[in-house]
Amino acid sequence: MPWKERYTISDEKSLGDDEVRWPDDQRCCVGITVDLSVAAGPEGIRAADLATPEALFGANQGLSALRALLQRHGLRATFAVPAAIAHIHADTIRALAAEGHEIAAHGFRHEDTSGLERDREREGIARTTEILGDIIGHPPAGWFSLPRQGDRYATGAISGNTMDLLIEAGYVYMGNSPADDIPHYWVTDFATRRAILVLPYYYHFDDQFFLMFPRRGTGLEHPEALLRNWRCEFDAQYKRGRYFQMTVHPHHIGWCNRLQLLDDFCAYLCGFPGLWNPTGAECARYWRETYPASASLHLEPSLWHDHPGSLS
Amino acid sequence: MPSRLDQELVDLSTAAQAYAARHQFIPDFAYPAGIRIAVNFTLDFDAMLLRRLLGEPPMQLAKGEFGGRVGIWRLIELFDAHGVKATIFTPGRICELYPQALRAAVKSGHEIADHMWEHRVPKEAALEEDHLARTVAALEAVSGRRPLGTRSTHSAALLRQYGYIYRSDGSADQRPHYTFDADGGNCLVDLPFHYVIDDAMFFNFNWLGSDTAAQRITDPEHVFDIWWAAFRQQYREGGYLNICMHPFVSGRALRVAMLDRLIARMKSLPGVWFPTCEQVARHCLEQFPPRGGTV
Repeated sequence: MPWKERYTISDEKSLGDDEVRWPDDQRCCVGITVDLSVAAGPEGIRAADLATPEALFGANQGLSALRALLQRHGLRATFAVPAAIAHIHADTIRALAAEGHEIAAHGFRHEDTSGLERDREREGIARTTEILGDIIGHPPAGWFSLPRQGDRYATGAISGNTMDLLIEAGYVYMGNSPADDIPHYWVTDFATRRAILVLPYYYHFDDQFFLMFPRRGTGLEHPEALLRNWRCEFDAQYKRGRYFQMTVHPHHIGWCNRLQLLDDFCAYLCGFPGLWNPTGAECARYWRETYPASASLHLEPSLWHDHPGSLS
Repeated sequence: MPSRLDQELVDLSTAAQAYAARHQFIPDFAYPAGIRIAVNFTLDFDAMLLRRLLGEPPMQLAKGEFGGRVGIWRLIELFDAHGVKATIFTPGRICELYPQALRAAVKSGHEIADHMWEHRVPKEAALEEDHLARTVAALEAVSGRRPLGTRSTHSAALLRQYGYIYRSDGSADQRPHYTFDADGGNCLVDLPFHYVIDDAMFFNFNWLGSDTAAQRITDPEHVFDIWWAAFRQQYREGGYLNICMHPFVSGRALRVAMLDRLIARMKSLPGVWFPTCEQVARHCLEQFPPRGGTV
């Protein structure tokens, strides 16, 4: 094995805190992701998922409240939008873009593509890119594969081909990787250093895993745990000068006390000087320019030897 | 001829007694003068190996990768800042994936101990020995010393044959104690840990194969309170605490900050010792040697 293929996707050591720099000497980067998917599980958004009070609330009052909240705090977000949602709510999507938010792709219907043949997956990426591009006037720069409440894992499902197909389709970045807490490169081919920039995501900062999770039931609402995770991570990352990322869903976070919680947290956050709050694309472009893979990606050759009776 | 129910009682008693006979506790366990409690910080440094072994998808492996490229470095830095000597239970294969981090840990004086070759113990005896021998060689190459302890279910006979003196597993007693084979041989010090003092139980989705509906992800402040309460109780008793962590879990910035606070608070009390597991095991063997059995 020439490279730690099928074990690692990036270099052996992340950048240290003192090596991370943000534009204009800002202290910490704040990335906000708004997931507009209402998919319940791996099959992605079904007709039944859209015909629910939660989905209707999320697309209307919940989203309006979230937009107003972000505007009030002067924060911009990256909206991860499945093609099907963009198709249904095209005017809303255009309005979000006009407000300064970024529209990124989130699958055709936010389905799990991990079992798809390469050509089938390529087809889905192409059609999704086309639908979003027609609505916002340019191809989306970013692609997300975020987890759903009903998933087996809370990390988001991709296939072994996804990252390579996104590079092929011209994506500037992929929006969710748990391998670091700053932007990093996801290598798809060791020999050619072919890689895509990925932005950090961690499910501990995603509202859907705390608010009536995994479904309606007794004692399953934990907004205080979500708030503490956000606050503890922000405090720690601000001190280190790294990156704070949070993910919210209008149909979860938009509802009364939860909305207040987000409002309070944003007020707390905005009280700190030196925050850089780019969209995903702005952050990715900055990172690719400042820390190009050619100079910053250090891939050590593998020391690996295959042995009978061991994993290869 | 005992009745059916009497026979059931005999079988149950035999099972309980046989299990108890394989454990020897140390009721008068104590530390050198001035020490009230030993706290072992133990890192299970499997990064993505276990995820890979279970055939989990790419993002799950990437989640584990955080432990190697980020988490382990931060934890070493944290322990060094506090003068804490930690024990890093390291699968042999990790020496090939993250040699730089392990060399840094060794340089700081942390103990490199065994956590299997690729995070499994093969059922076939010859392959089990092959894995253990490879792990011993890999850990010795990176640390300059043969491992003396393990967190695994490797057979005690094999571990003793390769010079191991302790295992850190299970929670049969809150203090360090001894375990033996059924025939009284192959004694090992056991440095107990409890799943309640294991970061992954609070922070890692799907831990130990638990299903989605069972997940309740919590926050560092809640866990701080639980761990501090555990420490306080053992501190009063003159006991022992083994904090089991995974670099891909506890190496996250919000949890490093929590651990920083926890260690600082522990250090504010007199008599708190932060040794390696090897130091605690040696203390047991020297001061409270096992009674009977073949050591």
